[in-house]
Amino acid sequence: MSSVWLPCGNYHENYVIDQGWWQTRVIKGKMILLLAIVFIGIPLFASEYWVGVATMIGYTAMGAMGVQLLIGYTGLITLGHAAFIAVGAYTSTLLVLQFPWPQFLLDWGLAYPISILIGGLVAGIWSVLFGLPCAKVKGFYLILTTMAAQFITVDFVITQYVSQIGGRGQAFSLPPGTIKIGPWIIDSDVKSYYLMAIMLTLIVIIFANLLRSRPGRAWVAIRDNDIAAEALGINIVWYKLIAFFVAGFMGGLAGAFWVSNTAALSPEHFPWFLSLWLVGVILIGGAGSIHGAIFGSIFMVLIMELLQMAVIPISDYYPQLLINFAYLKDSIFGLAICIFLIYEPNGLAYRWWQIKNYFNLWPFSY
Amino acid sequence: MELFLMTLVTGLLVGGIYSLVALGWVLIYKCSGVLNLAMGELTLIGAYVTLTFYQMGIPFVLSVLLTLLVGIVLGYMTERIFLDKLIGEPILTVIMLTVGLSFFFKGIIEFLWGTDTRVFTPPIFALKPISIGYLRISPVYLWSFILAIVLLIVFVAFFKYTRWGLSMQATADDETAALSLGVSARFVYAAAWAIAFMSAGVGGALLGNINGVNISVGYLGLLVLPAVVLGGLNSVPGAIVGGIIVGLLENFSGTYLDQYFPGGVKQIMPFAFMAVFLLFRPYGLWGWERIERV
Repeated sequence: MSSVWLPCGNYHENYVIDQGWWQTRVIKGKMILLLAIVFIGIPLFASEYWVGVATMIGYTAMGAMGVQLLIGYTGLITLGHAAFIAVGAYTSTLLVLQFPWPQFLLDWGLAYPISILIGGLVAGIWSVLFGLPCAKVKGFYLILTTMAAQFITVDFVITQYVSQIGGRGQAFSLPPGTIKIGPWIIDSDVKSYYLMAIMLTLIVIIFANLLRSRPGRAWVAIRDNDIAAEALGINIVWYKLIAFFVAGFMGGLAGAFWVSNTAALSPEHFPWFLSLWLVGVILIGGAGSIHGAIFGSIFMVLIMELLQMAVIPISDYYPQLLINFAYLKDSIFGLAICIFLIYEPNGLAYRWWQIKNYFNLWPFSY
Repeated sequence: MELFLMTLVTGLLVGGIYSLVALGWVLIYKCSGVLNLAMGELTLIGAYVTLTFYQMGIPFVLSVLLTLLVGIVLGYMTERIFLDKLIGEPILTVIMLTVGLSFFFKGIIEFLWGTDTRVFTPPIFALKPISIGYLRISPVYLWSFILAIVLLIVFVAFFKYTRWGLSMQATADDETAALSLGVSARFVYAAAWAIAFMSAGVGGALLGNINGVNISVGYLGLLVLPAVVLGGLNSVPGAIVGGIIVGLLENFSGTYLDQYFPGGVKQIMPFAFMAVFLLFRPYGLWGWERIERV
């Protein structure tokens, strides 16, 4: 974690303060303000459309967290994370649709929350399965096994077999009322947004706490130099597998959430493009920081929305543009990744860190 | 038995095309250390460019040659504009740059040519299968294989006997030493990318002849990745053998496993086999074992 220079006059006097969540009162205030904006401000003042966009950002961020853990903190490059999101989504949906839930669980609205957790667990285990080669292979060879995870899981297992369960055809749709948490039925954009905000907050809290405990330090050590880490007594295979599990778990949660947002599910929601998109998100946001994943999601989703808005007026003159917009979008996404990698290789989080430090030390910055 | 032989021959012939594309990949990796994930899109570009030339009325062989020229220009430009600035950056950065490039190219291809399947009209190769003994081989496969092998030999000969090829080998072997002997590393990188574009382009054109040209040709180009991993990342013979292994795997699983696992087992098999194979030979067949020190 890149440490921030504290404003003048603040000192860390003991370890507890040094490791604290909110190190000064200002930071605490800022975070509470942020939470207030997320939980009260956006749903209250934003229009339905922008709440939908915010939900999309949250979904991307949840998916990107797992990628951030693998790439940014453990140094295991993954190009197949959409597979684990898909596993979570399908597990959760199939549980909701097919599992003979006892009536009292349905009445209490616990079926969907339980299925979210189980979806996360199954995705985590599935992820460990494909993480197993990390015991022996590294670098590019490992990248290719994660790619294999994507193709085997989504294009083969899910499309050919899992989608056939129940004989509904390829696309699943959830009847209204099945996605129910406690007394609330998730059926509107705002409710979906709240579910996203709560899940994302929980994921961030769990992730940040993991990072400042033993596994987190082990992961960072492995990322920085795995041989040195092994020499220090860290069981690197074990911790890499834990990283795969946690990343898959978070991906699975994201997938299970996605079901509530769309109430429909099909293998096309989880193409290889999504895996690469998530990696692009964390690289643009900044690898190796939690808020980097969130910055990246905000940036990428907003850029795409703005592009869409910009294209609509032009399309009066050149209708081909709107028809082929999806392709242009891919192209611009690719170009954005290239430009960021060349000119801003540390991502938005680094820029944010610089700005924050500038104001923390202002006006005497040295 | 006949089925077995047919599958074997088809696998070998298709594998030849994969070998050609894999060679381009390995050249980039050997010379500049770039792990290129945009190979599928390079094959796509080749397929569409050849198709466009062919539809303008230029004979097929000439269109392939023109595609080679376009490949040189595009490869040189790609290297100069994007990859030149990232020499010496961490591996993830460079890999992701190629991913970005793949999106960029793919978007442009789809924007320009759409997503419908196009075929080479009029067909270039006769549809009537050639009979050798009791084997019946579609001429597309045979001629593609021959063309692929010819180009493979040309590239390998270029690599082994010409001045430029030797300077590429020198850079691949030891960049600093090559620089001190007056080899221009930047030129070598650009040349490697040009060759990769060329080999992938021709591979794409040939694959496009077999199944028609659409986005899935890009997926076939991705099959090169298991091929190079099976052969070992930095081995030219490995790339050729790996390509043939992938061709065989694909066709054998299509013939024999499809009845048990209907659907896409043909496309998945190379990846699945690769994932398992890596557990036993982490560096492929002939890849260099990296000895790491703290």
